Amino acid sequence: MSEAGANHKFAFYLGCIAPNRYPGVESASIKAMKKLGVELVPLKGASCCPAPGAFGSIDLNVFYAMAARNLVLAEQMKMDIALVCNGCYKSIWEVNHKLKHNKDLRDAVNEVLKEVDMEYKGTINVYHTAELLYNDKFIGVDKIRDSVTNPLTGARIAVHYGCHLVKPHKDREFEKEVMLNTECPTWMEELVAALGATPVEYRNKMQCCGAGGGVRGYDIVHALDITNEKLINLKEEKVDALTDICPFCQLQFDRGQIEIQEKFGVTYNLPVLHFAELLGLAQGMSPQDLGLDLHGISCEPFLQKVL
Amino acid sequence: MARTKGYPEALEKKLHDQRFYGEDSNPEFTKNVKAISRTIAHMCYQCGTCTGSCPSAPRSSYRIRKFMRRAVLGLENEALTDPDLWLCTTCYSCADRCPRDIIPTDVIMSMRNLAFKRDIVPVNFLKTVTAIYASGHGVPNNDVNRAAREKIGLPRDPPTTHSYPEYMPGIRKILDHYQLKANADRIIKEREG
Repeated sequence: MSEAGANHKFAFYLGCIAPNRYPGVESASIKAMKKLGVELVPLKGASCCPAPGAFGSIDLNVFYAMAARNLVLAEQMKMDIALVCNGCYKSIWEVNHKLKHNKDLRDAVNEVLKEVDMEYKGTINVYHTAELLYNDKFIGVDKIRDSVTNPLTGARIAVHYGCHLVKPHKDREFEKEVMLNTECPTWMEELVAALGATPVEYRNKMQCCGAGGGVRGYDIVHALDITNEKLINLKEEKVDALTDICPFCQLQFDRGQIEIQEKFGVTYNLPVLHFAELLGLAQGMSPQDLGLDLHGISCEPFLQKVL
Repeated sequence: MARTKGYPEALEKKLHDQRFYGEDSNPEFTKNVKAISRTIAHMCYQCGTCTGSCPSAPRSSYRIRKFMRRAVLGLENEALTDPDLWLCTTCYSCADRCPRDIIPTDVIMSMRNLAFKRDIVPVNFLKTVTAIYASGHGVPNNDVNRAAREKIGLPRDPPTTHSYPEYMPGIRKILDHYQLKANADRIIKEREG
């Protein structure tokens, strides 16, 4: 672990969909994490992670080089990276991990980075904010519970873990071992309970949202059909909201519900919130502060229950 | 080869079959898949756990086990020209459950890489490339979002390449190193005119 982590100060890697579609995730993460003693410093000049589905499919070498560029920006700041998106985690964490452990890859990447006066050194670590929240070395469930001023009492909330933070677990190296369980993990449910809400289990909760791997762009009906299956399972449990830790999954569930309505004629009206947005609400941020009106599916019914 | 030396002709023939090379096989394909994916793809024993775990399988003809077999047999054309290749959501459920630790998702990704080298690629993948070449973002900012950001006390553009366009030449240099933009433009033009 580097110095930066010990100071609880991280370079905040934003990605694309959080700042450009759900800015409440960005603002809530900065404010809520600050209250919990973690400072998120802007990572200036960062680009797309790059999108692991699109770039990984086309040319893995470009994928490695582009992700390495973002890593180098944080290395230059001498800070570990914190990020809010599973897709970004797949690119940034995994490429960092691969480059640290494979000299041939590192050399190839540095050959290209030389053209832009950069060098990947492998001096930093990458964390998802969900991991920082759950790991008591940084924050932990107790500290989150203590920070809550507006408990989300009475709300039934289901968790969508998404794929790329936790899978493939054989490659992952979480300090908290429970995070390596990818068949039926419950650590996110602990975080939801810490906010005063009731976490709800549902059938096949670890299933993918359907958007990844470029499938959303390639065959939208196929992607939405996967999303729809999850929504059917969620409806059975009569949940008030779904929480995620990945803006891309959020886009698929939130905007996807509108597309499902158009294409399949089924309506769910299930509010979908990033865990950072939930945390912001529980710490007293207003729905306006969080830009919740930008969501495709109205969060009103859920907000009425908890505010 | 040494294993079959001196065996009767019939057995020799049978063992030769077991090497799986038919007219359509390209042994190089198996090697390339293994090298790009950094997996032991040839160790697949076709248990089907991958297809059983796959969210795309129940709603399409996509069978990841079939692609694993094609990797072992070197069936390059069959694998790369199958439109189902692009239906993997990369959820890595198969990777989590594969009893041989192969990571079938990465095998699929390597096949997509090899397909791209032959210009076989859906256009939406290329559009992400051109978006990043233009702004650094696959999903760029827009005016509705800029207004919303301002309203919640954030700068209109995030502190990424959007606020620091001086980083763009470096990004373009990296993409140009692999001629990715040129290839993307060429293929998009061929498809869409």
